[in-house]
Amino acid sequence: MEAIVKDVICAEDLLKFEKKYKEEEASGSLSKNTKFEYAWCLIRSKYPDDIGHGVNMLEALYHDGPAEEHRDYLFYLAVGNYRLKEYEKSLNFVKSLLKKEPGNTQARELERMISKKMQRDGLVGMAIVGGVVAGLAGLAAVAIGISKSKS
Amino acid sequence: MLCLKALMHPTPPPTPPPHHSHPLRVLVMADCPHTIGVEFGTRIIEVSGQKVKLQIWDTAGQERFRAVTRSYYRGAAGALMVYDITRRSTYNHLSSWLTDARNLTNPNTVIFLIGNKADLEAQRDVTYEEAKQFAEENGLLFLEASAKTGDNVEEAFLETAKKIYQNIQDGSLDLNAAESGVQHKPATSQPGRLPNDTQPAKDACSC
Repeated sequence: MEAIVKDVICAEDLLKFEKKYKEEEASGSLSKNTKFEYAWCLIRSKYPDDIGHGVNMLEALYHDGPAEEHRDYLFYLAVGNYRLKEYEKSLNFVKSLLKKEPGNTQARELERMISKKMQRDGLVGMAIVGGVVAGLAGLAAVAIGISKSKS
Repeated sequence: MLCLKALMHPTPPPTPPPHHSHPLRVLVMADCPHTIGVEFGTRIIEVSGQKVKLQIWDTAGQERFRAVTRSYYRGAAGALMVYDITRRSTYNHLSSWLTDARNLTNPNTVIFLIGNKADLEAQRDVTYEEAKQFAEENGLLFLEASAKTGDNVEEAFLETAKKIYQNIQDGSLDLNAAESGVQHKPATSQPGRLPNDTQPAKDACSC
């Protein structure tokens, strides 16, 4: 699963699908599948702005699309948000997918990965907060010490 | 429906990759309605005493994924085209998959035709002889296998790896060519590369 979320599209491919999308859009015959293909490519971009654009497109596709396509959009919404480090959003999408398909191994693996990532980030966050608290306490102690020595 | 990929994550977990192996990129093309887009797995196989890591990209055969999954074909050293012997519709896909596999991979990419669900003899819809003939006419390796019982699955990966190694040894597959699908681990890490750049998927992107 790590290989899937870290998979970066090459510029040539992204341009190819962008071109197809723009051409169909210009001719007024933009198909849903072309939108999905372009969105899927965008979330594999190395640029966060592209990923964000792809995520927005997938959200629109999800809202307009029939139920049988929802699994694809939910999965790639989870992948896109993971790549944007929006782990909570990512987890929500993957959980929605698992509600529909509890046995989906791809979704399970992704869920495991997101949870692990959040746990690790949470621990790092706590360590930083802990460090700041310890630092402040130290400063306070020094301040008290100074004021005491002055009195 | 059980796909070949069901056996790509064997329990207990596979032995850790050895230090001096060259991972081989292997593509699986299967009409697997449950797969969303592309799946990734690894497998360690022993070829003539050497442990070889296979990086397996399993592409869903559905039409709606097809245009994008084509970009995963590039750089494959081997491709397994999987059909279901109980569903002729999956066999009928093969010529267009073969065209894609031939056009998008190296000319020396090993292409293996696999008839899955060989355990369901009573429901057979494609004869062994017919598929064998198709394979021979197109120069493909061929096996019937069962992802459910595990029959011939290991053999398919092993044969693929062996054939790739044979191609490397007789010089028809270049270890150092970026598009060959064989990733040569650099002896020292390359300067100026982000940690993410060492991901196999990105290394295989040949543009």
